[in-house]
Amino acid sequence: MSRSRAEIVITAVAAVLACAAAAFHAPVAVMTVIGIILFGAPGYLLGRLLFGPHIVGLERVAVAAGLVFCVPILGGLLLEAAGVPLHRASWLGLMAGTTLVCDIVLFARRHANAAVSRGQQDERRRTPYRHVLAFGVAAVIAVCGVVVARVGVALQHYPGYTQLSLVRPDKNAPTVNLSVDNHEGETIRYRVVLERNSHKTAVWDLSLANGHTWHRTSSFSDRYTISVNLFRLPEVSKPYRHVALYGHGMQLP
Amino acid sequence: MQEKVTPVTVADVPSGSRQRVLGRHASARSYIPVSLVAVIAATGVLVVALAYTYARLGHSGSVWADRAYWAGQGLILLPTAIPMLSRRFLLASETVTLVVILTIAEYLVSVCYSPAAFTYADELRHWRGTVNVLQTGKLSNVNYLLPISPHFPGLEEVTAALSSITGLTVFASGLIIAGVAHLLFVVVLYVLFREVGGSYRIAGIAVLCYSSNALFESFDSMFTYQTLALPFLGLTLLAAWRLASRRTGQERASWLIFAILTIATTVVTHHITSYVLVVTLFIITLATLLSGNRQAAAWTAILALLSAVAAASWLVFAAPQTYAYLQPVTGQALQSFQALAAGQHTSSPPISAGPMSNRLLASMAVLIVSALLPVGWWRVWRRYRRQAWILAMAIASASWYAVVVIRLTVADGIELSGRAATFIYVPMAYILALALAYLATKAVRWKARPVAGAVLVVVLLLLFNGLINGWPPYWERLPGAYQVAGSERSVEPEVIAGATWALTTLGPGKGFATDLGSYPVLGSYGDENPIRDVAYLYTSSIYTPSEALKAQTQGLSYIWVDRRLSESLPAAGQYFPDDPDAGRYKRPLSAGDLDKFNTVPGLDRIYDSGNIVIYELPGS
Repeated sequence: MSRSRAEIVITAVAAVLACAAAAFHAPVAVMTVIGIILFGAPGYLLGRLLFGPHIVGLERVAVAAGLVFCVPILGGLLLEAAGVPLHRASWLGLMAGTTLVCDIVLFARRHANAAVSRGQQDERRRTPYRHVLAFGVAAVIAVCGVVVARVGVALQHYPGYTQLSLVRPDKNAPTVNLSVDNHEGETIRYRVVLERNSHKTAVWDLSLANGHTWHRTSSFSDRYTISVNLFRLPEVSKPYRHVALYGHGMQLP
Repeated sequence: MQEKVTPVTVADVPSGSRQRVLGRHASARSYIPVSLVAVIAATGVLVVALAYTYARLGHSGSVWADRAYWAGQGLILLPTAIPMLSRRFLLASETVTLVVILTIAEYLVSVCYSPAAFTYADELRHWRGTVNVLQTGKLSNVNYLLPISPHFPGLEEVTAALSSITGLTVFASGLIIAGVAHLLFVVVLYVLFREVGGSYRIAGIAVLCYSSNALFESFDSMFTYQTLALPFLGLTLLAAWRLASRRTGQERASWLIFAILTIATTVVTHHITSYVLVVTLFIITLATLLSGNRQAAAWTAILALLSAVAAASWLVFAAPQTYAYLQPVTGQALQSFQALAAGQHTSSPPISAGPMSNRLLASMAVLIVSALLPVGWWRVWRRYRRQAWILAMAIASASWYAVVVIRLTVADGIELSGRAATFIYVPMAYILALALAYLATKAVRWKARPVAGAVLVVVLLLLFNGLINGWPPYWERLPGAYQVAGSERSVEPEVIAGATWALTTLGPGKGFATDLGSYPVLGSYGDENPIRDVAYLYTSSIYTPSEALKAQTQGLSYIWVDRRLSESLPAAGQYFPDDPDAGRYKRPLSAGDLDKFNTVPGLDRIYDSGNIVIYELPGS
């Protein structure tokens, strides 16, 4: 198969495959490979359609890359103007549709110009294997660098914390939502003390694993102040966290 | 047809002449092949990544981490700069490979700084915008951090498209888009310089000079709308060049269609870049007219008019808010100039200009560039004054001196001049390259090795100055623990958790008072509406009725208090986005001032995570 025909077949297959893979909820790894080919296909084909063999080398790459971005940017605006929501199906339709239309036009044009283009062959200079190997090594080292940086982020230590919150679901709700979130990096024992107008009305002792949340809903009225002290056991003399809601006109004691 | 003048440089002269000019080393190839340069530069990226990791593990103040960072940068910059500036022969393919290696390596360095999520404030703004597009399927969502961005949705569209199709995260998609766009811009710059000047060596040196721009490694390669718009600026200029120089109607038609697409993409992607495109095309038209080439001037004028109409139409019909968005910045600059012209003292001095050594280096760089530009202009006058595009670049490069004046006199001048540098450096870099190539060639002819060495030192000085005085700033060059009112180092788990809690519990779009460090997190992860002018809430000892009234007028519903503001001075010199005391803090904020809300009647304390407390204002 000639190169010109191969590029039409590859891009068309990628367009169809991407739509099929999306329809069958293919894994991200598969979608990433096919999706990136599909993402680049319309720009590449538009470049071929617009300029054909008139531009070469770096300029051709630059023009194709520019068109790769043009398609979703200008196409997305047109879809928005047409009232089409920009979800996955729309983007797939835009990219795959543009690819297939370009494929058809390119195929028809090449078919018409077959006699002219026959005999034209790309002259390519081979890069010596040692250079290819060196560039490969460079890529591996650079990827290792990014991996090392990523590992550094994973290993970076941040102080743990516990979130205590007390909110009304809405302004006139007769209840309040109380929650405790443990992000201390270990299981912690807490004591939650609920007070209404400074009178202790409820106490909960709980043990929360790291990343876990504890919820309670409690009644609330504008007639009183509700406050919550969270203690990190065994320390019970000083609250670890504190929140409070005030009824209209109520003041802190 | 445009006149094409091929300048004589060390590498471009024919081999016979080169032999006479360069002596016995004339045809000698570079000492190290570019593939080996790639390996060395990649090793540089690895060394920088190790420095970052060491810093993250509690050694951000370590001298060794700092040294490793600079050693890594040296491994990237030296082997890419030296071959381009040396007297040894370099192929065109080798030159462009060096340019690509430098760009990719520096981009990977910035990726290594934040390899798991966006932490730069500007990137967080566009991350929020993209997430909004993905969630709603619409482009016209409110972005509280960057209200103008829905009117210039190019970046959000292309990232949402890639993320939707591939299933990659917005972060991964954003890195791919920003990286490809940045590399594309650099490659287009190289192609333009090569075509306009006819010398790939000078084009390589020009790109090297451009990469000494302080924002090259950071803002120009970040996940921001300008990063995506820049290559389209370059591609439109390339189309203008081709339109003026192509003979056949079919080729012209192709380039015209391409230009229309790139102009449209620039206009819908970034405001400033589209306006710079219009101005640039008009300058080129003027220079082409001056050089007497009316046909070329006509084509450039057509593109200039097209881009002007497109930008104006978009401004009027799709993004009328742009004027209000840009007005404060331009207004402030104009006020400062008017004050200066009237002999008055201008606004507050620049905040946190950095250590003396950094400022000294920056001053040296300014002096060097200021001294080299006239040499470049002299070269233009001697050899290229009939070459319209080079003439246009010479004219545009004069704006460098205006940028220097802005930097020195205007309040927030460093920020303004830094942003302007992205565009000013394009023509300036080429004129600098002409000057440097001339000096290098002269040095070879005179057999003056010190001059050749000095040229290399000058370029390296400019490159390192770009890194030292660029972004991240010196106080956050290495990643590490939380920093009060910092930038990237203020983006840490407790702040993110607080912002996420706000979004899930309180809902989006609530008016929040917050500090500088939490501002971008609350607006992005939290999708809340953080207000900038809130310093008064944190710097008074009591919460007065007038403050309560002002808060109500500003639409504030919640006050976010990070108690760490009372533990150290702000790294950036200011605690709040709009801070009247910026640069004047002598001691941290008072803990009592921050805790005063606990005793205000009717102010609910709804959230407490230790360092961060959120208060709900009455009536919200």
